[in-house]
Amino acid sequence: MAHPAYTQEEQLARATFLALMWSLSYPGRIYELPEGSNPLHVIADTLLDLETTFYTPDGELAHYLGRNNAREVAVERADYQFYPQLTNDLLVTVQQANIGTLLYPDQGATLIIGCSLDGDTSLSLSGPGIPPAQPNKIRVGGIPNAFWDLRDNANRYPRGWDVYLVDESRIIGLPRTTIITVGGE
Amino acid sequence: MAYVATKGGEKAIQESEKLYHQLKKPVTPEFVQEIMDTMPYLVDRVMGEGSLYAPDLAALAIAQSGGDLYEAVLLLRAYRSTQPRLAYAKPVTVDETLTLRRISAAFKDIPGGQILGPSLDYSHRILKLDVLDGPSPTDEEEDTAVEPAEKPAKPQYPLVADWLRQQGMMTAIDVPEEIDAADIPDVTRDPVMMPAPRAHRLQALARADTGGVLALGYASMRGYGFVHPTVNELRLAYAEVQVKHPVTGEYFSAGRVRVSQAEIVTKGKSTYKIGFTATMGWNEVKLIAGATLDMEMSQAEPHPALNEDFVLYHTEPIESSGFCIHFKLPHYVTFSSSMDNMRKVITVLYGAEAAGKDADEREEDAEKTATSEIVTKDTM
Amino acid sequence: MSLTDLAQPNQGYSYAFLDAFAKRELRRRILKGIAIPGYQVPYASRELPIARGWGTGGLQVTLSLVGPDDTVKVIDQGADDSVNAANLRRFITRMSGAETTTDANAATIIQSRHRIPEEILGEHHALVLQVPNPEPLRRVEPDMAKARILHADADYGQMWLVLYEQLVRFGRYIQGAAYPVMVHERFVMAPSPIPRWDTPALHQSAHLTLLSAGREKRLYAVPPYTNVYPLEFTDVPFEVEDQREWACRTTGARNKFLNELPMDDGSSQFELSDTGYMEKLVNQQRGEPITVGTTYYDDEGNFYHDGYLKPRYNGERPSDA
Repeated sequence: MAHPAYTQEEQLARATFLALMWSLSYPGRIYELPEGSNPLHVIADTLLDLETTFYTPDGELAHYLGRNNAREVAVERADYQFYPQLTNDLLVTVQQANIGTLLYPDQGATLIIGCSLDGDTSLSLSGPGIPPAQPNKIRVGGIPNAFWDLRDNANRYPRGWDVYLVDESRIIGLPRTTIITVGGE
Repeated sequence: MAYVATKGGEKAIQESEKLYHQLKKPVTPEFVQEIMDTMPYLVDRVMGEGSLYAPDLAALAIAQSGGDLYEAVLLLRAYRSTQPRLAYAKPVTVDETLTLRRISAAFKDIPGGQILGPSLDYSHRILKLDVLDGPSPTDEEEDTAVEPAEKPAKPQYPLVADWLRQQGMMTAIDVPEEIDAADIPDVTRDPVMMPAPRAHRLQALARADTGGVLALGYASMRGYGFVHPTVNELRLAYAEVQVKHPVTGEYFSAGRVRVSQAEIVTKGKSTYKIGFTATMGWNEVKLIAGATLDMEMSQAEPHPALNEDFVLYHTEPIESSGFCIHFKLPHYVTFSSSMDNMRKVITVLYGAEAAGKDADEREEDAEKTATSEIVTKDTM
Repeated sequence: MSLTDLAQPNQGYSYAFLDAFAKRELRRRILKGIAIPGYQVPYASRELPIARGWGTGGLQVTLSLVGPDDTVKVIDQGADDSVNAANLRRFITRMSGAETTTDANAATIIQSRHRIPEEILGEHHALVLQVPNPEPLRRVEPDMAKARILHADADYGQMWLVLYEQLVRFGRYIQGAAYPVMVHERFVMAPSPIPRWDTPALHQSAHLTLLSAGREKRLYAVPPYTNVYPLEFTDVPFEVEDQREWACRTTGARNKFLNELPMDDGSSQFELSDTGYMEKLVNQQRGEPITVGTTYYDDEGNFYHDGYLKPRYNGERPSDA
């Protein structure tokens, strides 16, 4: 019997989801989002609908994110936050992102941040998804170093933020469990 | 030929399903229609628990499952979850419904009058054995058309509870100005969290297992609960399903559905407290038991078997029946894990020489020394 | 213009049965589950055309992952040929067009009830475990709202008390399958009713484990390379089932999880529970060119993470010591 049609939308959504899932499972490893699509758009199409809320400082992007009836809300209430560029000025904003509650830590925000994955800042990663014997190292650019301190201060495990770093179609996942040392050896 | 791990499983289940259907007559459109026409209360119950108002589909589900109601409800539920949400209907208020039956046990007479409507309440439950012998034109109740009343009953009636509110004996319901239907929590789309939003509780009761709601409601009525239920109002009605026309934006009626609801009152400190249940279709037992449970669940410290978590989880027909029959599935891995413990415990409690001995003998031998009942309570 | 013109054409079923809303929701929850290892994420849990309690939780997760490029293995009690496994496999392939296999190492997605395969799963493999009861605290706190508070506070004292009582009464832990584990030093988790034999396979694994209870509407995850330890007192170790004296009647294999088969004469015979693994061993013994994967336990019963399993307890009650 023929299976139901594997539509273009589902192909994109599934490929994006698998990149999100594996990048969160193996923090620090680079995965590929579907080529030829705006990376923030495909992530939004994969995750957002009328049951979700979002925040972005980018007006044009906000227009797109609302397409699936997702609701634009203030930064402290938004489940999904899209920062095409995380400038110094935005740190006071992102600082307010929700970390969830002890009863429902899954309500902590997901931050999707555009950046360079070939930058000058070296980050050492350890935690779930990273073999203890092989701590992972990534290089990022375009994110103020102060952000990593902010994240560190905000996370109260199991409460915290889950972060994706997106550079064109390349993506890295940094769940709240990942311990990040800036410039660490 | 290479040895293959998948052997007869797939073929076996296909043949088993065929055999099930072969032991009953095939389903025909006429038979489905017959079920709809002759068994509206059965169809109502399946639609209510299936949370899908579609008499033809419910009748088909009953026929297809050979009358196994849990299977029929599951068929409807599974079909329902493939259907998109096209629109939200306009909220229905009770006084707008076309009411056929509306009674109150709290008062001898009520504004608008007691309307008995269709009921078997006062029938003599005598099997009409002569039906089996063929048509008999002598049966008065069934074969004579209903005699119209001198004064036709009105189609719409006010709520009995409104009178109690006017008298200051019941607190008013908070009615929000404008409800966006999309904002109403939906128990079929949201994860269940406890304590549940009121909408979830009422939706869960509306699609709860009739038998399960009755069992727990009855436990409350017999005295395990705190409330003494008085049926303030019980109502069977038709409601218009009003949706917005996609072009004109005007509301129009897309059809009528059978709905029923009950309000139970019990005495609070200085006001009456209300318990409520409504469901699609007409199902009086479920309404009275459900409204009683609604009130129990609102108590500060309900009986453990009447708290919200307990009631809502255990009256879910698909989950409870599914879990119950899942015990037919093989559990030999978990059982083997438990046997491993049992053997070790026997050695620890009775010594290595007790292994493999007759259990009664062993227990007798050990009676002089302290014994422990061995109860393993593995979660499976 | 009529209403019929405005209505969308009937497209039958969505790819992999679940509609886009259901898939998006499940995918969001799965990501949160991975981010918070062992924490139970509530989800809506749609009704599927399979009875509740028969794997609908695992099935929803599988359906939100699966694509035509996947190879799926479905097992029940370790067996590919179990009727329920066959039924779920038939549904998954019918709805997705995915390939199927009995070879654990060839599968990209393994949906399982009550077992983890004997061969070590590699990176980027997803193991989906069907869960009947996601709440490890259920027997000490049946009220889900209260159990959630205990998890929030990491208040697991009652779990330790249960273990202690077991030691006092029986001289050993008597939890059979579904032995509670501590995940990433924070959440106590029900690993689904896998035998204790399989519990260690969750620890620092290369693969991703997703656990899902459809009836109870909770899903959770053990990401790769995450600490998973059975609850145990330091002086009384957790022990896997003792099958050291048993050998598979078909392959002669030892120190793999075996089913005990009662015989007419009152004796027992034993056979591998993992039928996919048995298939490989049998075919290898017949001289076919088959690569059998490395197993979690070697033929002497040593677990592949050295030192994870402590020497077996000598059986003395703590009070006797």
